[in-house]
Amino acid sequence: MRQRITYIQKPSAPFHPSQTTLTHDALSVESLDAAREERVTFSFDELPSELWQVLRQCHQLHIRWASEKVYEAVSPFSSRISPGLHVFYSPVDAGKAKGDNEGREPVCTLLKKVFDDGLRCESPEESFITPPILSTRFASTAGYQFHQLLPSPENLVTYIQHKFCPMDDDKCRQRAASILSADAVDINYDSISHALTMSGYWSEAPGGQGWTEIIGKHEGGTDKVEVGLLGAEQASEPEEIKMGGLLAVVGQDEELKPTLFSFPSRHHPLPEDAVYSVSFPTPTGMHPTMTISISREALNEPPGRPDATCALHAYLTLPSTLFGDKYQLSTTDPLFLKSHNLAALRAVAGETDLEAPDWFVSRWGSNWLLELASPSESNQVAEVWNVTVPLHLRYLPPSESGYRTASVPWPVVFWACTAEDGTKMGMNPFDRVNLGWEGLFGPRTMFYQLHPSPTRENGVLMEGLEVPVLTLKENGGVFGGRAIELGTVAVISLGFLWVLWRLGLVARSSGIRAQQKRDADKRNKAE
Amino acid sequence: MASIFKRASTIYGAAIGLRVILLFYGAWQDAHSAVKYTDIDYMVFTDASRYVSQGQSPYARDTYRYTPLLAWMLLPTTWAIPGFFSFGKALFALADVVAGWLVAKSLVLTHGMSPERALKYASFWLLNPMVANISTRGSSEGLLGVLVVALLWAVLNRRVYLAGVLLGLGVHFKIYPFIYGVSMLWWLDDTRTKTGTGTGTSESREPEPKSRATSNEDDRNGGTPVGVSQIISFVTPCRIRLALTSLLTFAALNAAMYARYGTPFLQHTYFHHLTRIDHRHNFSPYSTLLYLTAASSANATGLTGLRGPSGSFESLAFIPQLLLSVVVIPLVLGKKDLPVTMLAQTFAFVTFNKVCTSQYFLWYLIFLPFYLPTSSLLQNPRLGITVAALWVIGQALWLQQGYLLEFLGVSSFVPGLFLASLGFFAVNVWILGVIVGDAGGLTGAEKGKVE
Repeated sequence: MRQRITYIQKPSAPFHPSQTTLTHDALSVESLDAAREERVTFSFDELPSELWQVLRQCHQLHIRWASEKVYEAVSPFSSRISPGLHVFYSPVDAGKAKGDNEGREPVCTLLKKVFDDGLRCESPEESFITPPILSTRFASTAGYQFHQLLPSPENLVTYIQHKFCPMDDDKCRQRAASILSADAVDINYDSISHALTMSGYWSEAPGGQGWTEIIGKHEGGTDKVEVGLLGAEQASEPEEIKMGGLLAVVGQDEELKPTLFSFPSRHHPLPEDAVYSVSFPTPTGMHPTMTISISREALNEPPGRPDATCALHAYLTLPSTLFGDKYQLSTTDPLFLKSHNLAALRAVAGETDLEAPDWFVSRWGSNWLLELASPSESNQVAEVWNVTVPLHLRYLPPSESGYRTASVPWPVVFWACTAEDGTKMGMNPFDRVNLGWEGLFGPRTMFYQLHPSPTRENGVLMEGLEVPVLTLKENGGVFGGRAIELGTVAVISLGFLWVLWRLGLVARSSGIRAQQKRDADKRNKAE
Repeated sequence: MASIFKRASTIYGAAIGLRVILLFYGAWQDAHSAVKYTDIDYMVFTDASRYVSQGQSPYARDTYRYTPLLAWMLLPTTWAIPGFFSFGKALFALADVVAGWLVAKSLVLTHGMSPERALKYASFWLLNPMVANISTRGSSEGLLGVLVVALLWAVLNRRVYLAGVLLGLGVHFKIYPFIYGVSMLWWLDDTRTKTGTGTGTSESREPEPKSRATSNEDDRNGGTPVGVSQIISFVTPCRIRLALTSLLTFAALNAAMYARYGTPFLQHTYFHHLTRIDHRHNFSPYSTLLYLTAASSANATGLTGLRGPSGSFESLAFIPQLLLSVVVIPLVLGKKDLPVTMLAQTFAFVTFNKVCTSQYFLWYLIFLPFYLPTSSLLQNPRLGITVAALWVIGQALWLQQGYLLEFLGVSSFVPGLFLASLGFFAVNVWILGVIVGDAGGLTGAEKGKVE
């Protein structure tokens, strides 16, 4: 079990060498004001059997979870995803994964066990969407994709405590519990490395007093425990990120070693005031409009090479309750696009049926990569630049109140710029891929993430939409299910009978007339 | 004569002018506003045409639920010639005008009207802004209008083969015209087919409508089984020709389309209407019930104590609808007045349908010129105004509830939309009763009186 802990300090954060003490078997840090990433790598034989039974059938499995609370994503961890649980999965064979001994589908069974029993997951074929693969040459995108809102990773913590921690190991249990305060969790497995890595990201120490902890060396002394105390420096190349600070391998190094290194990076930070917020102007009706308000500072093209081309994008993760009309959004009509400040729909995957009610939709929802228009001169923009995305609600099942809530995670908004030929992003020790959106671009693309800035006090990156549905009281009521049925039947039957009666009158009167005529004819003949 | 000609050119000129203006206005609005004049359906048709032009299936376009003929017909919209995108709208608008012209021609036949007077009634269609608006926005309903009225015209002129082809084509296009097959077969008895054999006395008439036959059964030759002789006399060469031509046309078109596009053609053109799962609110009285049953059959409510409807009445909805539009209305009215029978059939079909949107109203609007001359709605203006007002108010109430739901997000399904759709249904059913009465001569508004 290899372990890597990285503290990232902002230039403004205080640091004094006395805050760290390295002994022969442990590093202790005290009140360190920093963001923190911890990455743990398990080899195959360190995993519980129920886990590797499933992983064996995976070509790749990447799980991303992000908190719905706003957090700061510092460089080199500046990439973002929409809140919730994201799963990217490719099976070993194109065929169906083998069921467990009870015949249940293994991937969903495991996901439910680890994250939440209530996941709407039956099998990858039924519940996952298949994102468009931009180029099979890169194949960086997984075959199946899943998303569901998940407010807390508490089930994951319990799972780790049960399956990874020895019965009486309180330290292990506490470390697992620290995930509860993480802002993001990544789990990666692929069949090439045969290793499972799990990493957590904390934008700050829980409690706000800085990090105070003792990082011991590996129990068996066999696996590395690396610690870095780093800060971002000014890089010389636009593609690169430069980090400087102190590094140590616990149990091996005598002292913290100063370091300064740079590497090309996919993800780059933007200034703090490059922010966006998301809202749905009321009344939302059945056709809510997602409004992405972008600050003026975020509209400047990221600094880069003069020959680089950049475009502003938004990547939407929509639950099945809500969808876009792909025909409407993929239009090239300049008037429509201009009125919404959109440039183009670049990619769409998942449930895009325009008519199906929610209960007929088996997959979790859809993903949309939209290129946004940016003003030609950012100083022309008074306050904020509003991009609007027209969306539509599906019919939801009836409820007692006549309303149901559809929760929509905020999209991620970023600039994507071309990088110089030959840039190798994979050299980055902090590289992060399989986020859903980055695979839709070529491998030499740089991303500059805008910072979400919630307008509400609770700081949640989620919007709740009130969806009108059929009101149905459990105890009947004047317009209960029974009354609707009987009312409909009665009115239609009455209407039907009324028309039949009119037709009957017509038939009778023409019958009488025919009779009269026939009688008259007979009389004429007789005469 | 000169005045008639002048009048005709004025009306057709106005009808064409109105549509040309709307076409240009639409192009202007589309080019200058993000809110488009063009109907969303037109985008579906033209997208499908684009797929066809690229050698793909028109069903590659979601929600394309029409015959491939439509996508083929609109292929010129894919040509990169300025203005040709509107080709389809111009075609639909032209179809409108031709339909109006056929209405005028048919009125001369059915009502013995002077061409001038016929044109006056045809203007209800030709100069109707709603009709011109719908076709110039690019809705294909106008195409149905011309098909249906051409069918009527062909039957009135005893052009049986032409009628059969048109009927087969119409049903292939939009299914519902099959209801006219019944009334036309019924109407085409010997007196109508043997032209020139005099006006025909009651003795020479072929079978009377069943209802009439039963009302004076004792008067008939009591001994023989009623069915056999009637069935035999019903089967005339003319009826066989119509039935066979229409069936052959329908089958040939479907076979050709199936051979070309396979199952998606059948699925989207026909089966979709049987298995549709979208229960967005619409004018149909069934819509609330369908929402309720669909959600509870999918067990989606999540409310434990909540029972869905116990019966499955909505699956029997076709019974009153087809009984009226295919059986009783054609039998009772068919021989009295063919166009008004067709109006009543369409009215019943639309009113009792499980789905009903405002486009469907166009289906019966085409027959209005045939009904109005003898209708009590014009002879009794108070009744006419009441009918028109109730029809408009019924729709307005529904639309207001729909607006609350769609745009303001108010849960207006019950009681709002539920009662509004039942109310609108009641109004329509009452109007249907009036039409039936007029066609059956109950109100004393006999045909020809006006003339």
